[in-house]
Amino acid sequence: MEKKSVWKKITGSREASLVIVLIVLCIIVEILNPTFLSPTNIGQIFRNNALTMIMALGMLCILLTGGIDISITSILAFSGMSVGMLLKYDILHNTFLLFLIAAAIGLVAGGLNGLIISKGKVTPIICTMGFMYIWRGLAYVMSNSAWASGEDVAGFSDFGKDGSIGPYVLLVLVYMIFFVMMKWSKFGRKIYAVGSNAEAARISGINVDRILTSAYAIMGLLAGICGALSVAIYASAQPNMQYGKEMDVIAACVIGGVSMSGGRGTVVGTFFGALIMAIIAKALPLVGIDSIAQNTVKGVIILAVVLLNVITQRVMDKQNLERREM
Amino acid sequence: MAGKSGRTIQAVPQNSAKKMIFSWEGALVVLFIALNIFNMIISPSYNITNILREMPKYLAEIFMLFGMAYILVLGDIDISVGSIVCLSATLACVASNAGLPMVLVIAVCLLVGTACGFINGIILTRFTELPAMIVTLATQIIFRGIAEILLGSGGSVSLKDTSGFNALAMKIGPVPLVFFLVVIAAVIFTVILAKTTFGRKLYAIGSNSTAAYYAGVKVQKVRLIVFTVTGLLAGLCALFLTSALFGANTTTGQGFEMDVIAMAVFGGIATTGGKGNLVGGIISAFIIVLLRIALGQINLNPQLILVIIGALLIIAVLIPGINNAIQAKRKMKSA
Repeated sequence: MEKKSVWKKITGSREASLVIVLIVLCIIVEILNPTFLSPTNIGQIFRNNALTMIMALGMLCILLTGGIDISITSILAFSGMSVGMLLKYDILHNTFLLFLIAAAIGLVAGGLNGLIISKGKVTPIICTMGFMYIWRGLAYVMSNSAWASGEDVAGFSDFGKDGSIGPYVLLVLVYMIFFVMMKWSKFGRKIYAVGSNAEAARISGINVDRILTSAYAIMGLLAGICGALSVAIYASAQPNMQYGKEMDVIAACVIGGVSMSGGRGTVVGTFFGALIMAIIAKALPLVGIDSIAQNTVKGVIILAVVLLNVITQRVMDKQNLERREM
Repeated sequence: MAGKSGRTIQAVPQNSAKKMIFSWEGALVVLFIALNIFNMIISPSYNITNILREMPKYLAEIFMLFGMAYILVLGDIDISVGSIVCLSATLACVASNAGLPMVLVIAVCLLVGTACGFINGIILTRFTELPAMIVTLATQIIFRGIAEILLGSGGSVSLKDTSGFNALAMKIGPVPLVFFLVVIAAVIFTVILAKTTFGRKLYAIGSNSTAAYYAGVKVQKVRLIVFTVTGLLAGLCALFLTSALFGANTTTGQGFEMDVIAMAVFGGIATTGGKGNLVGGIISAFIIVLLRIALGQINLNPQLILVIIGALLIIAVLIPGINNAIQAKRKMKSA
């Protein structure tokens, strides 16, 4: 009896199946290339994917409400370029203050998205598409299409340089806050409520507009912080930084079991989704697949995962129906 | 498609002069004229000859507007069109460099586009639970990824023999061939959308797909056709883009989906489906093209042009919402 319930728990929970996929993936790659699971390599994986992992949490909030945000990497570029320019022209060198400014820029940009989507009743993809143009363009205009080089950001990049614990601390901190917030706070549960059924949430007294605006503002805040973090990790600021990476963030959420239609998805699932994406990207060159084919493999995996989701859902629905008929 | 009930199929527009001026299309025509005056003031070299010379490289994109407009009327979205352009253009260049005759090169380009569109369509119609957004997001990465593999480490390919593509870039008098093709396609697609049963079916599905299904519309078949045709149009775009650029690289067509959606939305086509027509879309397409030409002539930072287009897009989608809010307030006051 107990055995069955454990088995059911494993097959029934999305997170458990993700862990199994992760372990199998790691074993295969480890056999093919024994250096894979070394501490330095694992550290590298987290450092190189910290941006995607952090932004995936914001995207989780937005996907839970049934929306989408494709302006995130443009917000990242704008806040990152702001940090880069402040350093380049010797206006500010305090690491903490620079992060604060980047976060504030992101918060404003995200809040703007949220207000237009909730109050203006604009489709999320269209609104964020417009801002994707605007923030990226402003990043170019602000810097006059120039870079902030490694020398310009020298002191600041100590926070994210190889061997510094900065990115890891930030990553763990953000994940802990979100885990608690989404699971136990009123606000977190309200996001789930709005995503499952906005009308029911409204009737039960939740201010849907405010929850929507906050979700986009949180996404913006994280994107802003990631702008500064990106400058620190890569020791440069370019207007085209992280171009197109919003798709990676969305893909990480989708693989982690977050539903595109809202209401379903967890912080733990998102984490494993992002980790699986990161390991695949790292493993492809190790097992001899040309890095040029990486995008194709990534796309195929996303497609396979969403199709698999639909098929399992169909099978489950069918089984439930049969059980009821009996 | 929950939450879409209660919306009715758009009524046949009345032909009164007042309605025409105050309609969205009327406003766009006024904007179009204002823009031309604005362009003439800021750029001394803004005249017919220069416009016609610089137009071809911007015109190819407009082909995809027609397909995207149909998809948006259906209430779907396709963000893979830019990648389809990339893959089609790449394969056309590869085919041309392999020594195939021009007719076959054209066939390859169009067939690849059609096949990509068909793949989108078949996935979306077999798995109707999936939103078009996520499927075309995945195919967007895949199509461009395949092009990246084909292009190899260099990341670009240029035509060895440009004579065939030069023929495509020919001009009839001062006007480029592609302009005529865009106009012909515009007329055909506008008439189909506005005047045929197929067009009305699109509005029916976009307004309420369940109701349309029970009324006997083959919803999935229509969706498959529309996505496939959009792929074909992306192939056509790739063909004329290659004839203007004489090559392809990994960034070919990047961001085209955003441009085309911006044109459609700015033209008054609602992304929620069932609303809008192509006349507005076509006017706004030319507004964006002419704005690009003029701002390019005065050497404005091309990224600033993107900021302007982005701002226009958001203003355009905000106007109906603001309008509704004002009317709701007025109703509350009178009640």
